[in-house]
Parts: sequence; C-alpha cells; structure tokens
Amino acid sequence: MIATKLKKLVQAKTPVGWLATCAIYGLAITWLYPFAWMVLASLKPTAEVYNTNLFEGHLSLDNYVFLFGSAEKLHRPFLGALGISFFVALTVTVSVLITSAFIGYALARIKFPFRDKFRDFLLLQMVVPTMMFTLPMFVLIKQLGLINSYGALILPSAMSGWGIFMMSQSFRGMPEDYIDAAKLDRANIYQIIFNIIAPLNKSIIAIVALLTFTGAWDNFMWPLIVISDINKMPLSVLLATFSKQYGVYAGPVMAGAVLQTLPLVILFILFRRNFLAGMSLTLK
Amino acid sequence: MRLADKFSDPQFGAVLALSYLAFSAVFWAYPFVWLLILSVSDWRFFDAPTFSGLHNLFVVLRDPEFWTGLWNVIRFFAIFFPIAFLGSLGFAFGLQQVRHGKAFVALCFLLANISSGVAFSLVFKKLFSSTGPINNILFAWFGYRIPWMSDPNFAMLAIALVVSWKFVGYYGLILYSGLQTVPKDIYDAALLDHTPPLTRLFRITLPMINAQLIMVLVFTILVSFSIFTEAYLITGGGPLDSTNTPMMVIYETAFRRLQPTHAAMMSIIVAAASYALIRVMRVLFEREVKLA
Repeated sequence: MIATKLKKLVQAKTPVGWLATCAIYGLAITWLYPFAWMVLASLKPTAEVYNTNLFEGHLSLDNYVFLFGSAEKLHRPFLGALGISFFVALTVTVSVLITSAFIGYALARIKFPFRDKFRDFLLLQMVVPTMMFTLPMFVLIKQLGLINSYGALILPSAMSGWGIFMMSQSFRGMPEDYIDAAKLDRANIYQIIFNIIAPLNKSIIAIVALLTFTGAWDNFMWPLIVISDINKMPLSVLLATFSKQYGVYAGPVMAGAVLQTLPLVILFILFRRNFLAGMSLTLK
Repeated sequence: MRLADKFSDPQFGAVLALSYLAFSAVFWAYPFVWLLILSVSDWRFFDAPTFSGLHNLFVVLRDPEFWTGLWNVIRFFAIFFPIAFLGSLGFAFGLQQVRHGKAFVALCFLLANISSGVAFSLVFKKLFSSTGPINNILFAWFGYRIPWMSDPNFAMLAIALVVSWKFVGYYGLILYSGLQTVPKDIYDAALLDHTPPLTRLFRITLPMINAQLIMVLVFTILVSFSIFTEAYLITGGGPLDSTNTPMMVIYETAFRRLQPTHAAMMSIIVAAASYALIRVMRVLFEREVKLA
C-alpha cells in the first residue's frame, strides 16, 4: 500500500522535476538563513557572534537588556525610538488606508467631473521618479518649520496616489448590486465603506496596509535627513547611528536589527494569505 | 434629500478628489517647482536663491563624484541584472514544479522582500565581514576568503547579492504569474511537433511572458538607480567610492558638501537617465503578444 503510493509519488515527476523541486525547497530554507543568523547572533554574547556555529554558544537575552538599559547611558534611547517608529508607521498607515478607501471609492463608483483626468494624474505621479523629491521636500519641510518633528515623518506620506489607485481598481471589480442594496437600506458612505466594501476587498486593503506600514517603518534616507535630534529618531535611523559608532557591539546591534525586523515579519505572517491573493491580483 | 443620495452625488466625489489634489499641490507639485528653481539657482540653504542659469549643469558635469555615481549604476546593473533575472526565472520555473507547500516556498522568498532593509544591511555587513560566516564557510570548503569589503568589485558584488536576495522572490512571483497564463495547448502542439526543450523556452515561453519580463527589467533598472540604504550602511560607498551610488552622491552633495543646487541638478539628470534607459529598453525588447 505505502509502496505503491511512494512509487506513484516518485513517478509523478521527471528526474529533472524532482531535482528542481528539491533545489527550490533547499533555496527557500537558504533564503531564511540571514533571519536565523540575525536572531541567534542577537542572543549570543558579542565575543561568540563570529566564532561559533549557528546553533552553538551561550544564548541569553542580555543584548536586549543592554539595548534598553545601558544604551540609555550611551544616549541611544531605543525604547523611545521603538515607540516613535510605531507611532509614525501606524499613523501613516491608518491615514493612507482611510483616505485611499474614500477617494478610491469616489474614483471607482462616483461619476464626478474630470474623473478620467484625475485617474491620469495618479498614473502620471506614479511614473515620475521619487528620487527627485527628497531634496525639495526637505526645503518644504524646513519652510513649514517641521524639521526634527514627527510631522516631517508623517505629513509627506499621509496620502498615497498609489493606494488610491490600487483600491479603486479593486473596488471597480465589485458587483454594483451590493452597493445599490445598501443605498436602498439608507446606508451612509461610512457604512458602505466599512461594512460592505472593506470586507469584500480584504486582499487589496491588506497589501496597501502592509506595504505602507513597511515603507514608513523602514524608511531610512528621509528620517536621516529631517531628524537630527537623537530623542526623536525612529528606530531605523537610531539603529544605524548606533551601529556606526558602536559597531563592535555586534550582539546589541543584532538585537536592534531583530527589533527593527520583528513587526514587519509578524504583520507579514498574519496577513500572508491576503498578501499572496493581493500579489496575484496586482500582477494580472 | 436622503443621505444615501447625497453620497453618490458628483459633488461629493469631486470634493474627495480635490482633497487629494490639495495634498498633491503641497507635497508633490510645490517641491517639484522648487526642484526646477533650485537646479538653475545659486543657493546654500540660508540666503534667497539667485538665478544662475546653466552654471549648476556645468559644475555637475565637471564633478568626478557625479560620474563615479553614474558609472557605479552601470557596474551594479551589470552584476545585479543577470543574478536577479536568472534567479527569478529559475525561481518561477522551480515554483511550477512544486506541488506541496507552494505558498510556503513563495513566502520564504517574499519574506526577504518585505523585511527591513536597514536591519538586513547591518546583518549582511556582519555576514560579509572578513572573518564573518560567509568567509568562514568559503574557507572551510574551498580554502580561501574573499575580500568582500576591501576589493571594489567584490564590494559591488556583495551589494548586488544583498539586493538580489531581497528582490528575487518578488520578481520570481511576477514571472510565475506570467507563466500561469500561457495556454497549455501551445505546449501540447509543440510536443506533437517534437520541438526540443530549448526551442520551446526561447520560442514559446519567454515570448509569451514578455510583459512580465519587461516589468522585471524596468524594476531592476529603477532599483539600480535608487540604491541608498544598502550601500550607505554596508560599505559606506567605499572602498575608494567604488560603491558610491547616485543617491548617495546626491545626499552627500546636498547635506555634507552643502551644495543643494548642484544636488538638484544631479537628481534631475539621474531621473532623466533612468527614464531614458527604461524607454530604450522598452523599445528594444517590448513585444505585443498576440494569439492568432
């Protein structure tokens, strides 16, 4: 019984097919190696980071204790930076999600004057290279007096043309009946968006949320330019300055890297199904 | 007027659209105008800008740092593109063979794409260091170490490998989604005609996924021009400016050398160069796929 099943399994593919399958499983695991190395290095004393094998060494949480405790004395407020990163990334994500949902709804479902021109404008914005905007955006933030403030990190990303476009594309594919039925029941726009559209477009909302959060959380160049006050730095920049000055503390640097990565990995694992569905949705 | 009617009102739609246009006016159009003004002005952050014509252009064209930055884009692309392109193509073909755990494999690769560029720049800096794990493995297996951080070409290879690690899964899924749309009967017909595998690859598969291949090509060009975090954190642009990217040169020029107007001119030229390269590539390689 088992033998025939095994035989069937082996014959299901050509030898090349099996080789490719094994290779890709192997590669998938290899791809995770940097994650494993980072996590284990963050648990080892700095002296053992380089000269022990992956799973050897004395594992403890000392590096994290150091990061949140002693680093304060080195003027590296990691706990505060973690809070700032969360505050900025969450604010930006909520703002982008809400504005994109409403404006995306208007673009997909309401016939307003110059709607096609508005869509063209969004497409135009997406092809203009963003690298040109860093410097003049700095000038604007300086004129607004927002240097070294959270506003400098939040305001420029508070809305997203890409988010609006993605949501409207997804909303357009919905059957009209649901919305008409809701209108007959005198639902208002908030009810339509939160109770009808949102549950039916989970994938696109997840992908916009995940990519917006990641972009805000891991933004490096922009906060590096607009935030020089060490007490207002998000984790990404504080970690980089810490690594530059105290790079010899390999253990604590890796602990900081884990902190910087962990929220993104958790979100990714939580939303993985929606994300994969959203990927194929955007790649069509 | 009933509330529900009010919200399908064209005026309400226009108000929503206008809110985004207002945002774009402040955070998109205004900076863009400033960029254009700065590129033809003399200004050093504090005084009022004065018109200086094409002076910045000439300064930038004579700036060796700027040319190093552009040259490094070519060096980076020459290493990154083959790795990312063949890697993602291999990944897409490999994923087609996988029956069980397809999502798991895809997620392993995608995790690299979604995770922190800052954190992994620091991780790879350690992994590639002269006594780091990668060199230790190479030494144990082949008996020599690679000077990742002190040799200009190996430093660039290290950056290209890190960026490839990040993007191969994403590009691979783009190609994979293309492969899924190729009709099976074309392959059946080819098999009946005894078409050899390589011919099938170059005459059927690759032409059929032209749209996805072009998409990956465009993404690799965009990435090559906009590298900042990895180069800044892993090599710091060294050794000898060999990994100094245009974004780093622009950053240094604006905020270290305090020449924002030169940086403005540079960013316009770099953006134009990336745009032009993408156009050329599309003209050369883009094909319309038609099934008669």
